[in-house]
Amino acid sequence: MKDPYVLAWTALLFTSIAWYGFLVFYIGKKAGSELKTLIKDLTASRPP
Amino acid sequence: MTLSLIDWIIITVYVVGCLSAGMWMRRFIRGVDDFTIAGRDVHVNLGIASLAATEMGLVTVMYTAQLGFEKGFAGAVIGVIMAASFLIVGQTGFVIRPLRNAGVMTIPELFEKRFSPRVRWLAGVFVALGGLLNMGIFLRLGGDFLVHATGMPASWLESVMTVLLVLVLIYTVLGGMLSVLMTDYLQFILVGIGIVTTSIMVLYNIGWTNLVTTLQNSWIASGGTTPHPFNPAHPTSFGWGYLAWQFIFQLAVVTTWQTTISRVLATKDSGTATKMYRRVSYYFVGRFLLPGLWGAAAFVYFKQHGGLPAGLDSMTAMPRYLSAVLPIGLMGLLVASMIAAEMSTISGYMLTWATVIYNDIITPCLKKPLSNQGQLLLTRMILLGIAVFLLLYGLWYKMPGSAWDFLAVTGNIYLASVFSLLVAGLYWPRANSTGAYAALILGAIGPLTFLIVNAKASPEHQIAAEVAGGSSFALAFLGMIVGSLVSRAPAKTLAPNPA
Repeated sequence: MKDPYVLAWTALLFTSIAWYGFLVFYIGKKAGSELKTLIKDLTASRPP
Repeated sequence: MTLSLIDWIIITVYVVGCLSAGMWMRRFIRGVDDFTIAGRDVHVNLGIASLAATEMGLVTVMYTAQLGFEKGFAGAVIGVIMAASFLIVGQTGFVIRPLRNAGVMTIPELFEKRFSPRVRWLAGVFVALGGLLNMGIFLRLGGDFLVHATGMPASWLESVMTVLLVLVLIYTVLGGMLSVLMTDYLQFILVGIGIVTTSIMVLYNIGWTNLVTTLQNSWIASGGTTPHPFNPAHPTSFGWGYLAWQFIFQLAVVTTWQTTISRVLATKDSGTATKMYRRVSYYFVGRFLLPGLWGAAAFVYFKQHGGLPAGLDSMTAMPRYLSAVLPIGLMGLLVASMIAAEMSTISGYMLTWATVIYNDIITPCLKKPLSNQGQLLLTRMILLGIAVFLLLYGLWYKMPGSAWDFLAVTGNIYLASVFSLLVAGLYWPRANSTGAYAALILGAIGPLTFLIVNAKASPEHQIAAEVAGGSSFALAFLGMIVGSLVSRAPAKTLAPNPA
């Protein structure tokens, strides 16, 4: 288990899982509000 | 196990919701700019969600899991190289900043400004050819996952593939990039939740220590003849030659692959594009590593349960393993998220290649420009044509070797030549159209030879992927340099267009 390659992949794996969780909630929330703004802009500039 | 009623309800709710949201966006389409690049109004986080959703398809999960099954964690080194490439390009703005500032809709369009209309047309042909061949195996691999994960009869595979394609086609044909952005957002959320949940369940089921020690012991027991499960540079794994090819290949992917670049061209400015690249970079480690974990866990699971059952291989072991260990409800979430991944990738890719065919192959040949409605109709007809091609190609083509090698080499048909044109066109004033022709043709020779020879030759006479891919980059740059230096064709300069 002390193999440096194993340690490196362990770190990458667990940070990847955490990063995906962060992306879904943080980026997902921000992207959602950007999508709402995009739809609002589209509605204002060219009524459906 | 097969899916329960709860699993099917989860899948149905997602598919119906996604289809409705995608179709709702069609009302905002007014012209071909809305349809292909969302009117260039995409901000950074929506760009990240769309880019991540498009580049994480069910085909991605299948080939990265296959790498995990065959090469252990070392198989995920491709994702590390890809993430580093995104970060470097995001930090420096290499290629993507001047490309976005040029105000073009596709990469070949830039070549008309920098070289000549004929270079644009020829590059469009190469881009569409490489992209469509690359996409040809998406449906087959997606169908393989669904058959083995849900326990449905294998004879249903073609019908399921067709239904999935028709669903995607409905919202993509009607709403273009605006529908793709809306559905990509929903798919980004669902795929993220599905992948994180499944990865945690896999670790819980197989046990981290058990996974690592079994992989190590298997390699030792083989006498070091199987691929090293943790060291990608080991001669039994990828080796340094393959990794060297991947370094330049991934740099070309993040600056040249049209489905990725279409997100750059849809952003509101080049600053947004570089920020999007920096923030999305680490996502690509997980894109290879998390499904790679599932593949490695499948290898260990079947090793400890009497070996791989008949009818399974390194590609189909992962979905069968997950169907054996995931509980009711979670299996439905996983299948729904994988259908989401497949839909977002197919829609994004179909729209991208349709845009190239419309913008760079057909439009330059028209004697008078089409009306706004004519442009939209033409783009939609091309989308239908691509869907028919995907069904026919996906049904009869038998892939030689590993899925990742096939995808990398078909992508390489245009990556090497177009990358050399982009880099020289943006950063070398002496580059001219003669060099561009030479680079386009020489860059495609290696990958096309690989596809033709390896489809016919016996395993010991097949061309290695890194030889075909690496030589294409060398030949493309050589063609660009020699062609530009020996020819007297005038070099054109780019006029910036910050639109």
